[in-house]
Amino acid sequence: MTEHPGVSGAHNAAGGSRRFEATERDEMPQGPEMSESSDALDPNALRERVLDALRRGGRFCGLFGSAAPGGTQLLAVVAHEGAFRTTTMNVPAGLSSYPALTPSIAAAAWYEREIHDLFGLEPAGHPRLDPLVLPLADGAAHPRPGSHGNASPRAPSPLAPSPLAPSPRAPGLVQLDTTPLPAHLHGEGVFTLPYGPVRSGVFESIEYLLETPGEYLPHVRSRVYYKHRGIEVRFEGMDVADGVLLAERFEGTASVAHAIAFSRAIERLAGMTASEEAELVRIIHAELERVAAHLDTFIRQVEAAGQAVAYSRLTLHKERVQRLRARLCGSRFGRGVVIPGGVAGAPSLQRSDLVAITGKIESAATADLRLLMATPSFVDRLRGTGVVPEEVARRHGAVGPVGRGSGQTVDVRASHPYGAYGLLGYEPVEPSDEGDVLARQRVRLQEIAGAFRLIEGAALRLDRVAGSGRWRVPLEAGVSGEALGWAESPQGEILSLVRAEEGHLVRVKPRSASFHNLALFATAFPRDIFTDFAFIEASFGLSVAGVAG
Amino acid sequence: MMPWIPRGLREGIVTSRYPRHPDGYGEGFRGTVIVHATSGTPEQLALATRACPTGAITTVHDRPRVDRGRCILCGRCAELAPAVFSLDPSFETAAVDPRGLVVPAGDDDESAVEQVRSQLAGRVRMLRRSVQVRHVDVGSDGADEWEVAALSNPVYDVQRLGIFFTASPRHADLLLATGVGAVGMLGPLRETYDAMPTPKVVVAAGVDAVSGGLLGGGYASRGGLVGEIPVDVLVPGSPATPFGLLYGILLAVGRLTGAKPRRSRTSATRTSVAHPDGPTSSAPGSRS
Amino acid sequence: MSGPLLGAGLACFAAGALADLGVGVRRAWLRMLPYLLGMAGSTCLAVVGIHATLSKASTIDISEVFGLHGGSLRIDALAGFFLTLLFSLAIAVSAAFVSWVRPPDRAHRRGTASGFLLLLASVAVVLCAGDAFTFLFAWESLTVSFIVLTSVTRREAGQVGAVWSTAGIGKVSGASLLLAFLLLAGHTGTLTIAQWHAVGPGGLRDVAWTLVVVGFAGKLGVVPLQVWVPVGYPAAPGPARAAMAGIAANVGVYGLWRFLGVLGRPPVWLVVIVLLAGGLTALLGIAFAAVEGRLGRVVAYSSIENAGLIVTAYGVALTGAVVHSELLVAMGLLAATLQTVTHAIAKSALFLSLANVESATGTDELEALRGIGRRMRWSAAGFGAGAIALAGLPPSIGFVSEWFILEALMQQFRLPGLALRLALAGAGALVALTSGLAALAFLRVLGLSFLGRPSRIVDERGRETGRLGRAALGVLAVGCLGLAAVSPWEVRFIADGLGSLVPEHVTLQALKSPWVLQPVFHGFSILSPSWLWVAMPVAFAGVILGAVALSRGRYLRLRRVPSWHSAGPGVAGPASYSPFAFVNPLRHVLGGVLGTRRSVVEIADTPDFADAPDFADTPDTAGANATAGAKHLETRTQVAEPIETYLYRPLRTAALAVAKVAKRLQSGRLNLYVAYMLIALLIALALTATIR
Repeated sequence: MTEHPGVSGAHNAAGGSRRFEATERDEMPQGPEMSESSDALDPNALRERVLDALRRGGRFCGLFGSAAPGGTQLLAVVAHEGAFRTTTMNVPAGLSSYPALTPSIAAAAWYEREIHDLFGLEPAGHPRLDPLVLPLADGAAHPRPGSHGNASPRAPSPLAPSPLAPSPRAPGLVQLDTTPLPAHLHGEGVFTLPYGPVRSGVFESIEYLLETPGEYLPHVRSRVYYKHRGIEVRFEGMDVADGVLLAERFEGTASVAHAIAFSRAIERLAGMTASEEAELVRIIHAELERVAAHLDTFIRQVEAAGQAVAYSRLTLHKERVQRLRARLCGSRFGRGVVIPGGVAGAPSLQRSDLVAITGKIESAATADLRLLMATPSFVDRLRGTGVVPEEVARRHGAVGPVGRGSGQTVDVRASHPYGAYGLLGYEPVEPSDEGDVLARQRVRLQEIAGAFRLIEGAALRLDRVAGSGRWRVPLEAGVSGEALGWAESPQGEILSLVRAEEGHLVRVKPRSASFHNLALFATAFPRDIFTDFAFIEASFGLSVAGVAG
Repeated sequence: MMPWIPRGLREGIVTSRYPRHPDGYGEGFRGTVIVHATSGTPEQLALATRACPTGAITTVHDRPRVDRGRCILCGRCAELAPAVFSLDPSFETAAVDPRGLVVPAGDDDESAVEQVRSQLAGRVRMLRRSVQVRHVDVGSDGADEWEVAALSNPVYDVQRLGIFFTASPRHADLLLATGVGAVGMLGPLRETYDAMPTPKVVVAAGVDAVSGGLLGGGYASRGGLVGEIPVDVLVPGSPATPFGLLYGILLAVGRLTGAKPRRSRTSATRTSVAHPDGPTSSAPGSRS
Repeated sequence: MSGPLLGAGLACFAAGALADLGVGVRRAWLRMLPYLLGMAGSTCLAVVGIHATLSKASTIDISEVFGLHGGSLRIDALAGFFLTLLFSLAIAVSAAFVSWVRPPDRAHRRGTASGFLLLLASVAVVLCAGDAFTFLFAWESLTVSFIVLTSVTRREAGQVGAVWSTAGIGKVSGASLLLAFLLLAGHTGTLTIAQWHAVGPGGLRDVAWTLVVVGFAGKLGVVPLQVWVPVGYPAAPGPARAAMAGIAANVGVYGLWRFLGVLGRPPVWLVVIVLLAGGLTALLGIAFAAVEGRLGRVVAYSSIENAGLIVTAYGVALTGAVVHSELLVAMGLLAATLQTVTHAIAKSALFLSLANVESATGTDELEALRGIGRRMRWSAAGFGAGAIALAGLPPSIGFVSEWFILEALMQQFRLPGLALRLALAGAGALVALTSGLAALAFLRVLGLSFLGRPSRIVDERGRETGRLGRAALGVLAVGCLGLAAVSPWEVRFIADGLGSLVPEHVTLQALKSPWVLQPVFHGFSILSPSWLWVAMPVAFAGVILGAVALSRGRYLRLRRVPSWHSAGPGVAGPASYSPFAFVNPLRHVLGGVLGTRRSVVEIADTPDFADAPDFADTPDTAGANATAGAKHLETRTQVAEPIETYLYRPLRTAALAVAKVAKRLQSGRLNLYVAYMLIALLIALALTATIR
């Protein structure tokens, strides 16, 4: 076992008050939480326990930091047999480093980079600790999410705002250090083509560094910090009921899924569950969101392939889905529907109308997508492009359609059933082994069909149970504690780690599927050329907002 | 290619005729919040004011006013004080000045906004027939990009109005910025703005870009883009809807100077600086 | 007059060589003296050439001036034409040499000047040689001069190999000429070359034809005898490369032209081989010129390409000889000669520019030479003009000559017989591909390297050459571009020069009217390079003026902003297309020709770009570090000449094996060696007896 000398030395010198402490807890889908706690003097305890869980067949879901009294709490999440096992370890305030997990668990690389950026903790032994979400300038204070909850909650003063006065601003923006980083790829004639952050088209801001000897893309790096909004800190001090509004804005294209994950975490804290009809409405919105997001990946691909008619057909279908969502709740992104305790209200559309409209959209969209997947000039661009090998996907614990295209079965709707998915008899799609763009798009095609089945089933069931009108259960005041919520967004599994005190949020850490999967993006290119880039990017279907935070 | 074309033809025309003709889209849709002349009970008003997550409601001399530039359309005010506030499908809410986003408008505000507007119109005369749009995401949540991209779909089809998206700011006349002003994007935003040829015009789309909305401020984001670069048109909405964006773009390039398009349903109390001629001007279809 | 002038020229060369070898290179004026003498001598020879071409006298025998027996040295119009072309260039090259040797660090040893002057003298004598002995003597001394020039400065480890290839192929070429001459002299009973036309059709003439083509093609660098070119030229010092590639190699062309007149109709199979070998040479040359990373090799490979183009056009002339069409012979020879002129001038310009650039910066790596055009404007202008000409872009002479070559290859419909038609069509396709790639290859050098943002090395060391060198470059640059404007006169002069091969009036059919050219045949197509020189600048100016007028002057009001790079902060290290990367797609598309191999390997760590460009090449063993986003990678790409790989490498292996066996004969005992000699003598006598 290798210990970082700095860590053990500081640890020994500090004695009892500056100890690494590790705790384990299981988050079961339903029922009481199992919590296991033990003191550990060994700074490697976190890594050993996570590794142990992985050896027993677990899947690494993430590693998060939180400012805690007397240091920084690190929390690792491993999914195993229908539960999420969380392991925590406190890094005492006096220490600036801990033994990195990345050398043994490759998937932790980005999480540890994020922790390094946000908390200033150095994962000792990390192979490449480039800034990820926040390249702070020398001397700038790390934001340390979790430490702002005690500051006065951001209750807007009702008389203050005037359109002429500037918006209330925090004391100041952090200073960024945007010094260019050295390349990862070397060799004769190799150069880096920076693509972004202001990219050619309507895209979210992200910079891809295409490191290439020309035409081929042996290595692609993503720099995501441009869009870092510090949204995790904005949660802190908020009322738990307001928090869901912010959760919806964490990742706009997965608004509903984030709202569900957040709300379910709050509901677990409050020890309650939403009514069945509320869960059914949530499913309708979540699955419509999935249809829209999956259609969007196809749209970006047909646009890249220059298929003008297909582009206008698919954008029309997507527009219709968005309009349907607006008719159901007033928002084209399903915002304001999901709230802790249930949903805001009854859908403003009769079941028969809903089923008729979804039926129409489904038949038209499915026919067009089938035709698209039989159009050789399109499919040829997808086949064999952007391969994520099964082995890489498994080691990384790839989630969502990216994982399912590479033989992974991660789908929390089935593996960690939540809400009404169990009631509707949800069957996950069969994963595909090819791992190329085509496999991912075929998975999405099946998921679109599955989503329409779920909507139909939910609408049908809603008719039978909706009489009670129990759309929302009032939250008890002053919920406190820590809980994990999860949901399957169109991009894959999302987690929402929530800690609240007296009805106010102390720390919220949403983990989007995009964050987990974008780390894999770099591995998908070795056999591809510049013109494949748009197809591969679209097939990942990621949201930058959800990565940058 | 061949099987695609009949499909497109079978669908018929789906394209909106807006702005030449009003578009009926948006039944039950939350386009904006409107303030009714009746003031409701003070308790209700206070409740709604406190409940507003972004502090968009102010009360001056017992008259509530809503800053649409801050409203994220959560609908809490309409729920708590239905006599005062209601949600409306209208999307013609963009304005050339932050003052123009406050409803109901004050008397001073209206004339000031009109002045800003005529200055803008003089500046953008060259862009009236066709405008090239460069979009920049300055820290949005990703939904704004979907709505901007939707402008190219056959329903909105902004190319029919001479509006085109362009890859390079060198070819762009209009900068369409979304997002809250994330610290990492402020430099690139400025650089993009500087790279554009004059005359140029800037549209800030969505409440995030207008005022920071729910998540502005903090260590890594500004409260909107006003003050970062000269913003000419502000489009509220969370996110701004495609029609809202379209209206904002047309407003920015001075193509709404004549009669305005009318929706069939006009609230008597609706007051918006986007309609300087008042709510009862000439008939639809007469605009150029 | 010609005799004494020729003598004076050769005397100048001899005096220069003596000065170099006898006095040394310690002082600047001593270093410059031999080249000034070279300029004087070259001027004499150029005058001789012009006189001989324009006087149209059939042959001027000048042997008696030198006390040789009649017919051994004589000048006719063809020799006159080549004397004019090559020694005009020799003046420029000598002038460039004068400027080049002036700084103290260029020529450390004696020999460069002697090698150069020996080369000039040999060229002059080859052109004037009237009999086999003189010809071969001069030819071999030319090979010696090549060996001297490639070995005089030792710079790189691979240079010994370069000398070996140059010498080896030179020997092969000389040997095949010797064999051919022996056959012809044996058959006709005379050493006078002009009288060999007496050899009639038959197997012997076909064999002689083949040997002659092999001999001269080796000097030009035609496949498969091209291997020495990319290593041999860059091994020579500075402007000497221009002398080798721009001047000396053209005696191969002269030889081919001369023997077409002497031997007459070649065998059909030889014509087909010449056409296809020419096309393949052109493609191979330009493909490697496009992907090579060192400028010296790029220019050298471009020589191979041009050898291919010239030989292809020569193949058209041979086709004409086969089918007894004087028009086709004239067409082919005219196209080939125009290309020879283009190549000679442009290649001299390229190599002279390269000499300045390389001597100033100490490198010829394309990546390192970024932005050299902004620091060394004369050299860059010379290189640019030469590159435009060799890329065949209007309005340069290269455009005119490539137009003629393509037009010549399009005449296959006039031919009887499938073999020749197919060969012509195939060669045409290869040449068309070549001219496309040529534009790409030179665009890469000019656009990505010469006009890039100056690299550190260029910024620090880019210093322009002296006045005389600049003047030489200027003259060559003007020649590359401006000669096209007067191309009808060029055609007239060439027609004079080719008078002994095809009647002048036939060649002159290429002039449709005084300022309009056509491919000899009437009614096929026309071109007026002179008109291009009027129309292109006018059109260019018209567009600019029109734009300014239509925009009411707004185009002239500028606001300068930084160039647009997606608004990112940039990256450490190169952030734009490198010359290497620009042609990476070509490496893939022409993978078969180029033998491309590509790999990406993981390496342990990569140090910072700015500090250390070289890094440890140790494969990573810790598999866990192969994390997404935590990799350190290196990409490797290699190309290999297929002829080298599949022909010479096995040959070399076999030769070494034979040598190993032969070593057993080396016992060191004198009596055994005498016995070997005896056995060899007996075998020779026996063979002679049997043949008799």
